[in-house]
Order: sequence, then structure tokens, then C-alpha cells
Amino acid sequence: MAHDAHEENNSVFKVGINLTLACLLSSAVIAGTYAVTAPIAAKTRIQLDNQARKALVADAQDFKAIEGKTGWYAALKDGKVIAYVVPAESKGYAGAIKMLTAVSVDGKIIDYAILSHKETPGLGDKADKPAFRKQFAGKAAENLEVVKVPSDKNIQALTGATITSRAVTKGIKEAVEEVAVFAADKKK
Amino acid sequence: MKNLWEIFYKGLFDQNPIFRLALSLCPALAVTSNVYNALAMGLSVMFVITANNVVVSIFRKWVNPKVRVPVYITSIATIVTVLILTLQAYLPDIYKELYLYLNLIVVFAIILARAEVFAAKNPVFPSFLDGLGMGAGFAGAMVFIAVVRELFGNGTLMGMPVFGASYDPALIMILPPGGFIVIGLMIASFNLIGQHQAKLKEAKQGSDA
Repeated sequence: MAHDAHEENNSVFKVGINLTLACLLSSAVIAGTYAVTAPIAAKTRIQLDNQARKALVADAQDFKAIEGKTGWYAALKDGKVIAYVVPAESKGYAGAIKMLTAVSVDGKIIDYAILSHKETPGLGDKADKPAFRKQFAGKAAENLEVVKVPSDKNIQALTGATITSRAVTKGIKEAVEEVAVFAADKKK
Repeated sequence: MKNLWEIFYKGLFDQNPIFRLALSLCPALAVTSNVYNALAMGLSVMFVITANNVVVSIFRKWVNPKVRVPVYITSIATIVTVLILTLQAYLPDIYKELYLYLNLIVVFAIILARAEVFAAKNPVFPSFLDGLGMGAGFAGAMVFIAVVRELFGNGTLMGMPVFGASYDPALIMILPPGGFIVIGLMIASFNLIGQHQAKLKEAKQGSDA
């Protein structure tokens, strides 16, 4: 087939240049926006984290970062530690689930909050709703197991989101175990 | 002037993205269980579609026809990313509610459709109006569906109780089937009105002849 002018104009090279330029321009715009918003986003995230901690341990008057443990905070009331708020992470159905867990000094979970997740809307994201969350309150690490049969002792999985339920429970269990060890050390 | 107004206006009723073109029904189901989310989603889409129409229109002479769709998608993806970064920094509450859906805006058929059908062939200002009109039609439809669903499914509007405590909410309206029911009824009524208007036009032309 002869190379006419039209075909010349659509050569792989020209098409490639066109796409490359579009992507270059796009990445420049995104990089510029990110440079402006990233520091502000980091600041808002810290504020939100503080609010989240406060929501988990309502009695707390102040939070103190624990040295040597990144992201760990002690909830203080009248100068005494009443609970620990620690981050927990677990692999969910569609990516990492980041959580914040409040654990009492005797190693029992108080409450948790999901900071970010990528679970299915309408199924997995129900792990953040009170109906599922309140099952956890007051349980020690050994009772944090997902079961299919309803029982007060363990955690009942969300309908249609077993993987998410297991992931959330596993992440929290690990956090609770860590805190229990840490708190026991502290008491000695 | 009249032409420009028509470019804007057609997105609201004659070519309403959801009720007439039946495009982008996924968000119309997923994010309309309460008014607040529907409004935020509608405005986000309105922003993306308008901005993308302007960008596509500005660059329409330089985009190689062979790769126009990848270029448009790149443009949409860029705008959506910018929107996500901005919301994350300045409106974290809205971001938290919507972040699961925001990425999906990239693949909304209506945005690519407007770029391809209108912005690629028209100057910047009409393309801007086209995007604004289509976006407004989309946002309006979203809010309308959400008002119906939240009102009957939860007894509230924007989280404020409307019917009082004695109202027993019809849970089905909040669940996905409720979305299907509302959208179906709306498409039906838009079609009825469209038919009626077409008949009127015909009758008018008949009497003119």
C-alpha cells in the first residue's frame, strides 16, 4: 500500500508524541497540585486523627504520644493512663484497612474506628457501622474470632463480607495483643 | 444568545444524562441514598465534566484522532486526581464520604460522551456551557433521586427529621432496589412528557401547514 499524506500524518511516531505530550502535561498538572495540597492534607489528617482518638475514648482529657512506638497514644484522665489508642492495619478484600483501636489498660478492646479502606461499598464498608463495631467492645484478644454462628462471646461476620470481617478482627486482635503485652510490662 | 442558552438548557431536560440518555446510572444508584452525598457527587461531576470539556475544546486541534479517546481519558483522570487532592486537603469530611466513588468519575460515560460528541467539535465557550448544563442536569437528577429516597427511606432530608418519630421508614427506598424504582419512574415520566411535547409540536406544525 502506498504511503499517502493521510497515513503519514498518523504514523506511529506522531501518535506516540501526541500521547506522550498529553501524559507529560497531565503529570505536570498533578505534580503541581500535589505540591500545594500535600502539606495541607497532612495537617488535616492529624486533626482528624486527634478527633478520632477523642471519639474512641470519650473519658480521656488528653492524649500523650508513647515514645518508641510510632502512632501509639496513651489516653490520660486526671494524670492517669486509662487506655491506649494504637493504630492497626490489616489486609482486607481490596487493599489495606487502616484502623485506630482503643484498648483498656487490662487488655480489652474499647472501640475502634476505620481510618481508610477500599472495601466494597454497601458490603465491606459496613465494618465501620455501630451494628458490627459494638460486638467488639469489652472483648479480650482470645475472644476476637470471627464465627458464622451468632454468639455473644465471639464476632459474627458481616453478611456478604466475610473477608472484611476477618481482616478487621485480625488487625484489631493483633493490636490488642500488643497492647496487652505492653501494658503488662508497664505494670511490673 | 438563544443558541448558547439552548446548549446549556438541553442538559437539564431534553438530554438529561440520567433520565433521558440513561448514562452514568451507577452513581445514580450508589450515591443517592442521602441528599448530602448526592449533592457533593453531583457537584464533583459537574466540575469534572465542565473542566474536561474546556480542556478538550482548547486542545481539540492538536489531538490526533487516532488516540483521541486515550487523550480524553488522560485529561479526565488528571482533573479527577486534582479534584481528589483538593478535597482531601480542604474538605476532608466530604472526601471521607465520597472517596470510594470519586475515582469512578474517570470512567463515567457521560463525561467521555460530552468530550467526544460536543467539546471535540466546538469552541471553548459553548463547550463550557455544554459541560455546565449536562453537569447541572446530572447533579439535579442525583439530588432529586436522593430527596425521594432519603425522605421515604429514612424520613429525613439532609439528615433533618421531616415526618417525626411516628413515621416508619420504608427501608427499601434506601437500599439499591429503591434507587431502581425511583430512576425507573423518573425515566417513564420524562418519556411521557417528551411524547406529549412531540405531539404538541406536531399539532403546531400541522396547523401551520
